[in-house]
Amino acid sequence: MSAQEYAFTVLAVVGGLSAIAVVTARNVVHAALYLVVTLLSVGGVYLLLGAEFVAWVQILIYVGAIVILFLFGLMLTKAPIGRDTLDNQQRWLGALVGVGVFAGLVFLIQEAFPVQDAERFETFHATTDAVGESIFRNYVLPFEAVSFLLLAALIGAIVLARKDDAS
Amino acid sequence: MNIDYHALLPEFILAGTILLVLVVDVFLPERAKWFAMPIGLIGVVGSLAGVLSLIGAGTRESFGGTYVVDEFALLFKGFFLVTAVVVLALSLRYFREGGFYQGEYYFLLLTSFLGCVMMPSSRDLLLLFLALELVSAPGFLMAAFRKGDVKSNEAGVKFFIIGVLSTAVMLFGMSLIYGVTGGATKLAEIGVALDGVSGEMETLAFAAILFVVVGFAFKVSAVPFQFWAPDTYEGSPVPVAAFLAVASSVAGFAGLLQLMFVAFAGQHEFWVPIFAFLSIATMTVGNLVALQQTQVVRLLAYSGIAQSGYILLTFALVTDDAASNRNAFAAAVTYILIYGVMNLGAFAATVAVSRRHPTLGVADFAGLRETAPVIAVGMAVFMISLAGVPPTGGFWGKLLIFQAAIERGGTLGPALAVVMLVNSVASVFYYLVVPRQMFLRDAADPSRLRVPALVTAVVAVAMVTLVAIFVLPNVFARLAEISTLVGLGA
Amino acid sequence: MSDYYSSYGVVLAVLTAGALLVAVAFTTARLVAPNAPNREKLTTYECGIDPVGDGWSQSHVRYYVYGFLFVIFDVESVFLFPWARVLESIGYAAVVEMTIFIGILAVGLLYAWRKGVLRWA
Repeated sequence: MSAQEYAFTVLAVVGGLSAIAVVTARNVVHAALYLVVTLLSVGGVYLLLGAEFVAWVQILIYVGAIVILFLFGLMLTKAPIGRDTLDNQQRWLGALVGVGVFAGLVFLIQEAFPVQDAERFETFHATTDAVGESIFRNYVLPFEAVSFLLLAALIGAIVLARKDDAS
Repeated sequence: MNIDYHALLPEFILAGTILLVLVVDVFLPERAKWFAMPIGLIGVVGSLAGVLSLIGAGTRESFGGTYVVDEFALLFKGFFLVTAVVVLALSLRYFREGGFYQGEYYFLLLTSFLGCVMMPSSRDLLLLFLALELVSAPGFLMAAFRKGDVKSNEAGVKFFIIGVLSTAVMLFGMSLIYGVTGGATKLAEIGVALDGVSGEMETLAFAAILFVVVGFAFKVSAVPFQFWAPDTYEGSPVPVAAFLAVASSVAGFAGLLQLMFVAFAGQHEFWVPIFAFLSIATMTVGNLVALQQTQVVRLLAYSGIAQSGYILLTFALVTDDAASNRNAFAAAVTYILIYGVMNLGAFAATVAVSRRHPTLGVADFAGLRETAPVIAVGMAVFMISLAGVPPTGGFWGKLLIFQAAIERGGTLGPALAVVMLVNSVASVFYYLVVPRQMFLRDAADPSRLRVPALVTAVVAVAMVTLVAIFVLPNVFARLAEISTLVGLGA
Repeated sequence: MSDYYSSYGVVLAVLTAGALLVAVAFTTARLVAPNAPNREKLTTYECGIDPVGDGWSQSHVRYYVYGFLFVIFDVESVFLFPWARVLESIGYAAVVEMTIFIGILAVGLLYAWRKGVLRWA
């Protein structure tokens, strides 16, 4: 196994286990911290695939901003912490469906893109330049649409979180 | 990179209006916040003028073929903009007197309509996804707009959670398609690439198509993805429910039509059974549960679910025969347009009644023939039309689907037609509940209901339109013919 | 491609060295330092006073508002990085595109400012 495959295995196992821990943790804050580990390992996988810009965006935005938002939300709503507060009646059915979908997807993807043929897909270094060229030459319309989406999210979130004073 | 600015004129005008509404809201004093609505209205009418200016100019492509403005796109854009005018008209008095944040609401509503307007032109997976998000994201926020109300919060949360889950599933399917086709994101290219795929890649492609269909099935509230719809419609402000039922649903159908008939057309042997199942389940469950509803908005939600089932039926009629596909496509588009008119009218009548009875139980419609005669007659027409009874437009829409199903032949076509017939007959039972209350029962308070002029106007226009469709079906048939020119393999 | 991997290998080595340092320091402390807990030593430290109530108090909504304002503008600044790299090769078209993007989000900032969301107290 080459160094990249070894690194991928480690990241995949760590990411997978921490993802399971996110949904099974009893303490909500622990779940948020396990989410950090999951997102970091996803960023690591992006690095291994040569998608450098996407990896750092993942770490900057997901770990650096969104998980912080989760934690602030937890602190704001005084989320309950305890053994029985995060229980769900459909846990076992959910686990069954999750494992089933996972197994099905692994089977299908392995059949279509076998691991043994991995050499025919070569990774290339997707630099920030390449991403920039792609966005500002070919995908300008989605880029501008994203700005409206962000604006809508901003305004809506302010509306929902605002204190209802006299105005 | 060619950018056809004239083709994008409606979007530019709408985008400018959105920003103007927000800026104006920042500087308006508290008692004048409602003024954002006329500004929005002028912008939407301007955008509609832009759409009309593009008619007859042929197909225009922009951004490397990912954004196409053809007759199909113009038809839907016009529909969405007219819907925007109607929803704005319904919202003015409702939001002014309800103690809501008005400027922000009009901003969010128009942003969602911008997404709706972009959807029928998007011929690229990325743009399709973004347009869908632009339609949904303000919807999540608008559903929770009544801030202190538990039901409204519940509506927003349910809509949001199920919405992002299905978006995640759809995005996963889209990424698998990207991988299987070797990097194609344009719908036409995907169609070509998928036809050349075989073996295990094809199985993976089928799984990916299933995932994408699931994402859109949520948007159009098909069974078993419909659980969010009744609670969300009930909890949100009534004009927002109207928006969700009409614009949001039709945007989902616009995307689904393009995907199924253009990108995934070659794989129809795989997905026709899926759509047959979805259609039958949706029609049946929608109608059965609607029979038990005692709240009018929930009734309309389940009725909307059943109507989605009728539209999904046309997807199950796709075969190798291009002419029969065109029939199915035309039937779908026509029924979608008529469905929009019927639902907008029904929700307009509901807005009128909500002024006196905010909880909107079925019994609150009692005696409406005395308190608001125009609204009562309009509501009766809408209910009859939704049930598919002549002499209304709804009958003609259902007839088209029925014809398309019979003409398809085989075992599936007539079987689906029979199921649709049975369901339509069953639906009459709950569609007549409200007219029975209005005309055969007496109101507790017989004084005249003061309905805002805009709402009455909407009800009157919708009523006249539905009767006109029945009397002059040729006008609508022409519209349906125009729309079949979308790249249906010609 | 291989110097891409080797340079990130260096990054990994530095991270591992840092983690190892912390781990060794804490493990050594755990092994070597005397450990004699009693009830008073195990109570939560609260600036020398006796701790009151449980450790979980509700924070103010303004932290959350700042948090999501940061998320939105963080996403905006992430788009600035590739734009800066290709600005010279694409020219004025890129300037126009980015100006529109930033302008739209600046309207959002204007809204937040005028609604008093940016006020701390």
